[in-house]
Amino acid sequence: MNRSPALIALLTAATVLAGCSGADGQAPGEGSRTLTIATMTLPQSLDPNDANGSAMPFFQAVYDTLVKREPDGRYSPMLASEWKYSDDQTELALTLRSDVKFDDGTPFNAQAVKANMERFRKGGGAQAKTLNDVKAIEVVDDTHVTLRLSQPNSAMLYYLSDAAGLMANPADFTKGEALKTKPNGTGPYELDPSQTVIGTKWVFNRAAGYWGGKLPYDTVAISYFDNETAIVNGVKTGQVNAALIQEADQQISVEGHPNVKTTKQDFDFQGILLFDRAGAVTPELRDPRVRQALNHAIDRQTMLAKIRQGRGTVTSQVFGPTTAAYKPELDTYYTYDQNKARELLKEAGHADGFTLKLPRIPAIVSEALAASLQTDLAAVGVKLVWDDVDQGSAVQRIFRDRAFSGMVMNMGQASTDWVVVGELVLPGAFNMFGYTDATVKSLLPKIQSKPAAEAKADLQALNEHLVKDGWFLPFYRMTYLHVSDGSVSITPQDGMAVPSIYNYAPAA
Amino acid sequence: MRLLRHPLGLISALLLAAVVLAVLLAPVLSPQPPGLSSLRLAFEGPAAGHPLGFDSAGRDILARLLYGGRNTLGGAVIALAVALVLGVPSGLLAGYYGGWFDSAASWVVNLVMALPAMVVLLASRAILGSTVWVLMVVLGFLVAPSFFRLVRGIVANVRRELYVDAAKVSGLSDTRIVSRHILIVVRAPIIIQVALVAGIAISLQAGLEFLGIGSGDSPTWGAMLNEAFKNIQRAPLLMLWPGLALGLTSGALVLLAAALRDVLEDRATAPSASRTAPDARATSKPAAVEAGERAHLLSVRDLAVAYPGTGEVVRGVDLDVRAGEIVGLVGESGSGKTQTAFSILGILPEKGRVSRGSISIEGQEIVGLPERAHRALRGTLVAYVPQEPMSNLDPAFTIGSQLVEPIRYKLGLRRAEATRRALDLLRLVEITDPRRTFDSYPHEISGGMAQRVLIAGAMSCEPKLLIADEPTTALDVRVQAEVLGLLRRLQRDNDLGVLLVTHNLGVVADLCDRVAVMREGRIVERGTAEQVLSTPRDPYTRELLSAVLPLEVN
Amino acid sequence: MLSFILRRIAAGVALLFVISLLSYTLLSIPHIDVGRQLLGHGAAQDLVDAKNAALGLDRPALVQYLDWLGAAVRGDFGTSWFTSENVLRAIANRLPVTLSLMIGVTLVTAVLSFLLGVWAGVRRGAVDRFVQVFAVLGYALPGFLVTLVIVLVFAVRLNWFPAIGYMGPSQSFTGWLSTVTLPVISLSIGSIAGVAQQVRGSVIDVMRQDYVRTLRARGLPPWRIVFVHVVRNASAPALAVLGMQFVGLLGGAVLVEQIFGLPGVGSMTVTYTTRGDVPIIMALVMFTVIGVILINLVVDILIGWLNPKARIA
Repeated sequence: MNRSPALIALLTAATVLAGCSGADGQAPGEGSRTLTIATMTLPQSLDPNDANGSAMPFFQAVYDTLVKREPDGRYSPMLASEWKYSDDQTELALTLRSDVKFDDGTPFNAQAVKANMERFRKGGGAQAKTLNDVKAIEVVDDTHVTLRLSQPNSAMLYYLSDAAGLMANPADFTKGEALKTKPNGTGPYELDPSQTVIGTKWVFNRAAGYWGGKLPYDTVAISYFDNETAIVNGVKTGQVNAALIQEADQQISVEGHPNVKTTKQDFDFQGILLFDRAGAVTPELRDPRVRQALNHAIDRQTMLAKIRQGRGTVTSQVFGPTTAAYKPELDTYYTYDQNKARELLKEAGHADGFTLKLPRIPAIVSEALAASLQTDLAAVGVKLVWDDVDQGSAVQRIFRDRAFSGMVMNMGQASTDWVVVGELVLPGAFNMFGYTDATVKSLLPKIQSKPAAEAKADLQALNEHLVKDGWFLPFYRMTYLHVSDGSVSITPQDGMAVPSIYNYAPAA
Repeated sequence: MRLLRHPLGLISALLLAAVVLAVLLAPVLSPQPPGLSSLRLAFEGPAAGHPLGFDSAGRDILARLLYGGRNTLGGAVIALAVALVLGVPSGLLAGYYGGWFDSAASWVVNLVMALPAMVVLLASRAILGSTVWVLMVVLGFLVAPSFFRLVRGIVANVRRELYVDAAKVSGLSDTRIVSRHILIVVRAPIIIQVALVAGIAISLQAGLEFLGIGSGDSPTWGAMLNEAFKNIQRAPLLMLWPGLALGLTSGALVLLAAALRDVLEDRATAPSASRTAPDARATSKPAAVEAGERAHLLSVRDLAVAYPGTGEVVRGVDLDVRAGEIVGLVGESGSGKTQTAFSILGILPEKGRVSRGSISIEGQEIVGLPERAHRALRGTLVAYVPQEPMSNLDPAFTIGSQLVEPIRYKLGLRRAEATRRALDLLRLVEITDPRRTFDSYPHEISGGMAQRVLIAGAMSCEPKLLIADEPTTALDVRVQAEVLGLLRRLQRDNDLGVLLVTHNLGVVADLCDRVAVMREGRIVERGTAEQVLSTPRDPYTRELLSAVLPLEVN
Repeated sequence: MLSFILRRIAAGVALLFVISLLSYTLLSIPHIDVGRQLLGHGAAQDLVDAKNAALGLDRPALVQYLDWLGAAVRGDFGTSWFTSENVLRAIANRLPVTLSLMIGVTLVTAVLSFLLGVWAGVRRGAVDRFVQVFAVLGYALPGFLVTLVIVLVFAVRLNWFPAIGYMGPSQSFTGWLSTVTLPVISLSIGSIAGVAQQVRGSVIDVMRQDYVRTLRARGLPPWRIVFVHVVRNASAPALAVLGMQFVGLLGGAVLVEQIFGLPGVGSMTVTYTTRGDVPIIMALVMFTVIGVILINLVVDILIGWLNPKARIA
């Protein structure tokens, strides 16, 4: 008697396998297809609690999200087949698939969604923040669940297509830290523990009997590297099939190779996030004219040409071209005009200039960037002092001690407007002093309660205000390069630097 | 300084001096401050006033090279200073006094050497800040053990040596002994080590920069190289200048160290040659040419030995040894008697050569003989008993194997036979427990015993001529007499011809049939032993005799 | 002999203990906010505090150390804070990579530097100058530049060897050989330069010894004197340098591992130390120290075998 369940499982698996090969009819000689992706992101673990943006591909292999985000940013069904907002945007009703099971037979259902989301909220990770507006999770029946929101949140579907939508087997929640190294989801692949070396290489094999559409690769390997030189060499020799290359010089290097295929994507913008608009650390920054002066003082065109070898587009706004708030003319709002900068400083009563101290993380702020900012600002009388910080202590100094007025960041430009607002405008990590002003206060409620398309006018007004008031000091959007050894065609993912695991296919 | 005569040493010293000078004069030589950047000019080539062009941030490369050199070399100096301050005095104390301080210091040194350098560097950087100075101080700390070990080893050796003991006996204080004798000995190796460590510090700093463990804002050659590497596709030539500066400087340091070592080695090699100082004036009257026909066993005529640079150290030597005869070759150290002996054996030091004259052994002329043919005579026809018993045995092999090896090689005996023969030889030289001596290592036996072993080795292939170079000098008086007795017995039993090189007239009186007296590379007097000792004709011989008479004659 | 080894092991354990204490102190001082690093910039302070408490970081450093020590003595090194991997398994996965490099480099260095060093020391003249020039180049060329050129030429351009990655010897011996060849060559250049110099120096020293002259006087041919007597006597100091090189390779391996994308302990040291992943670093430190102690022991035993005078009774 004891043996029968195992036996049945074995038989089922065998039939499923037989069915698969029969139905799909892969040519016998073709062998199994493997995709090797290089990454410079080290995931903290494979527990969805620890998931974050650039580590998403690791999770997408083993877990499914409630909602799928297509490469162009549209939402399509995944574990949830349908969803609907209430008229006041405070209730999101999800209809779940009924045919999905975890490996151990535990059904995926509304209870599982509730369990996962509640775990996120208690887990303390990034997901706790994104699910902040979820007041309650209500199980209607096995295939229906409703999220009650404390206030409208137009980014909710985005979150459910991202880390907060990852669904793990609730049976493992009581097993201590099991999920960290033994992920257990309903995803298209399973982690192969015999081939995987955590911290170096993760190997995922196709999951038998996956409920959804079959992805083109039987095996996906994600390899970690700590520098782009090694990745570029790997792509050139075909040891790496696909990767994202950020540094301009490495891009030049990889483009020159005959085998390599490239796809461009503008994603991150680089600029100074001026947290200290209230003047807590540097009082001079309280005056918008000072922030405008800084914006006029820097020579964006030359920076782009020399530092990024022209690979990108100058911009004065933090919203990306795929958002509703984006206005093309704002890209060139601030011209390089040192006289105007000096005038603005004089009007603000700082004709003699002041000292601005910023942290320098060498990985982000290259020598050229550091030196040219210093020179440009010095020309209008602002003394820029770089404080060298280690990657380790940077977080502590910047976010906890709030020791600086701003920092140079490479920020991803999400295509969902509210995500951008949440990250940069609302009080939080990148608005650590919680600064706001009357215009922003009046616009936010109007934006929050409507889908972005309907709030377009208000969003553009907000964007324009942020630019003109000098909330930030953006330089340019950077062109990143998706590269492959020629065997893979890569579709960039809208609103993400790294493509989703679904976006790779054998090259024609 | 001797270094100046070493071409590579001179070039590298000049190069280093030029680099240091340029770097010191950075404020004068730089066209603009090193931090001044004009991004518009980034990657631009040489322009008026900017001979090397601009880097990726539009800064003047020459200015950064000069100021970067200040930080790079200054960093190396700091690393060295820390390493020297920590390593040298502690090494001196540990080596000189030993005891608990030695044990404690050695333990700490082992600890430091076991520390993973990378973790220490990264952690101290996190604590102390990311400047090139911090890294270099930590590096100095990490390399200090190499100085400690170096100094400790040398001092411990020197302390055991005679002249320090003598200095101690004569009532000098420890500090004076250290400053007068020991510092002189450790000085040179420390200088070499300094050059090497400086080179390592400079290239290590560049490596750290590459790993992102950088020097922050201050320019260094390593930072320049790393920045150039990040733009290698756009402007590969940026690598050139910092790469050259780094490569040339550390290369020059290594070359300098090698040159210093060579100079010191040369000083150590040719002491006998330099001390011999051939006397061109040749005040002593030319020795009467040995009359009569040449002896069959060994006959030397008009022999001259020359060294490059020093000239002839032996000149016009005539000498004969007949079978069954012991001939003494007497003179002060440096008179050329050992050089004469070596040329007969064909084992002159590498740079020395027989420049003139004839040497015949058993009627065969050996001057100009191919090495292989000459080698065939050694051991079987002419054999050698050296001066210092201990240093003439290979410390890494047992006595037995050192005796067996030539027997097997020269006489073609099998191992068992050769072993039996070696044991017989040990018995022959009056060693009481041959088996035990056979199995011993050189450091396990006494000096007298070692000299017997060397005599056994010389006798092993039944030679007809024995060249004994001061065979008893290093032994104490009682053992001296025994060894001389042994030599005499062997000579009589085997009808050997012996050339006995010595400065000791007592030994001559005891043993020799005939004597030749050497001074400054020439033979100044010759005759029967009796003749020379009782009625010396040459003033120098008289001088020698009067110096030893009260002690030795009786 | 046995008591000598036992004494050395006891001293080694004491060393381990002291170094563990020193390292833990060193790692505790900068006080990296691990909780915040883990949870991200945006996390609320109470959650960060909770995370830190969960990792035990809210306790005094000494208590944390004793806790670590207690577990480590039982062989439990915990799990990585930043990647959740079991520390022992993480190191066991990466150690073979670095060991392959180190052993490969040491073998190549030992053989080649002995050949070059003996050749230069015995022959002097032109050969000697060639070896000297090689040594100077080995010192003067920055290691990473040499490595980069080697990758670009032999892997990317000529495709003779893989440019990145590692394959275990149990998986495929030829695969292993092809993945370690270029890294070993890159690392060997510098170390051959150093050790060959040392061998040359020792050979020259030994060649000047009285017993070499006496051996010549016994009529032995030069090759026999060089290969039997000179090499053996010159080996002891060269071996000591080789041992130190082996230890130093751990540092040099970092660079080569990064450029070749090799998952070894060298690059691991840098990555995890920068993040402040204390469980991993402590284990790395401990294994390094044990490695150094063992290497020193082996070198001393070998030197004793080569040079009976240095033997410890």
